Amino acid sequence: MNTASLITDAKARFSHNSAKAYLKDKFSSKLIVAEQGGLWTASPALISFLSAIDTEYLVIIDNFDNPVSVNVSELHTKMVYTYMTVMAEWNAEWESLESKR
Amino acid sequence: MGIARKQKMSRGVLLFAFNNPKFNYYEMAVHTAKRANHFLGLPVTIVTDESSVPNESDYTFDNTIIVDPDKNNVRDYNVWINKGRYQAYDLSPYYETILLDTDYMINSDTLLKTFGIYEDFCCHDTTSFLMHPGVPQEVLSTYSFKTLWATVVTFRKTDRAKQIFDCLEMIQKNYDHYANIHSFVGGVFRNDYALTLALRIVNGHTDDKQDIIPWNLVHVGKNTSVHRNSDAEFNTEFTVVYDSWKRGKIKKEYITLTDTDFHCMNKVNFMELIK
Repeated sequence: MNTASLITDAKARFSHNSAKAYLKDKFSSKLIVAEQGGLWTASPALISFLSAIDTEYLVIIDNFDNPVSVNVSELHTKMVYTYMTVMAEWNAEWESLESKR
Repeated sequence: MGIARKQKMSRGVLLFAFNNPKFNYYEMAVHTAKRANHFLGLPVTIVTDESSVPNESDYTFDNTIIVDPDKNNVRDYNVWINKGRYQAYDLSPYYETILLDTDYMINSDTLLKTFGIYEDFCCHDTTSFLMHPGVPQEVLSTYSFKTLWATVVTFRKTDRAKQIFDCLEMIQKNYDHYANIHSFVGGVFRNDYALTLALRIVNGHTDDKQDIIPWNLVHVGKNTSVHRNSDAEFNTEFTVVYDSWKRGKIKKEYITLTDTDFHCMNKVNFMELIK
């Protein structure tokens, strides 16, 4: 028996809540990036903060609570790229799951 | 490149696999090794015993290390050979090692990220169960620590990592004592509990975020089964089915999963997946 017929024969219902939680797990991990000697999560808060800074270097607390001196522009570029890429993938997969019943 | 330099830079996966009357852990290890080669591009070393190695196999490990296992552990009325994990530090031929449970389904290159985030040792402290969002995290006991997970451990050959594995050995050898102190059931040895205590001891009885893999370990838990969506050897799409009890009847629910690693706690299900 293949998986498709298993689902049909068992009248299994697609669980949107579980799928949502699974996608959050899957893509949250992809937002975490090691860069410039620190570990960062590409988040709207970090991206906004970095874009508001006009100095070349800044010390920021990373995910491990370490103060890390970073090149602001380089980190900003990396965070924006990661955020946009991962969120686009997340959205695409979510939309394909949303259509399931 | 000199031999010393080569060893210093080397990376690989280490698996412990000892068959018991119920499960063929060696077969599970072969499957996991093939996927580690494919998705991570890393060589795999197996630690096993004479009786687990089959006469013929279609797979050759990077190294096969034969040890005499401690069979003094029983779970679900079966011998459960999970002791001796502390030997990983000494037995690993690699400078940087990913130590994995054999029932961990590698389905992406995510594990490679651990090399970029750790100092010299890291493992999971948070899990999520597919089809059971929001399940509370396991603790050793009501008044003790949140459990760390020995399912995935990445370590580098440093003095500190050696201290952690030495401490793991000490805890294994005095498991009932630690079970008594932390009020957990000591009858069945669990690497997860031993690791939880070892890491805390080495860190001076504090939590160190730097030793934690910053994403969740995905478990497939009770009443949940996983099915392959294709017969391709390196299939990355699975259907997860959950038996939900509603008004005395089972209602089946499912999700599809792609490119995501998971830990299949149900060994019967894992054996079905690898056939």
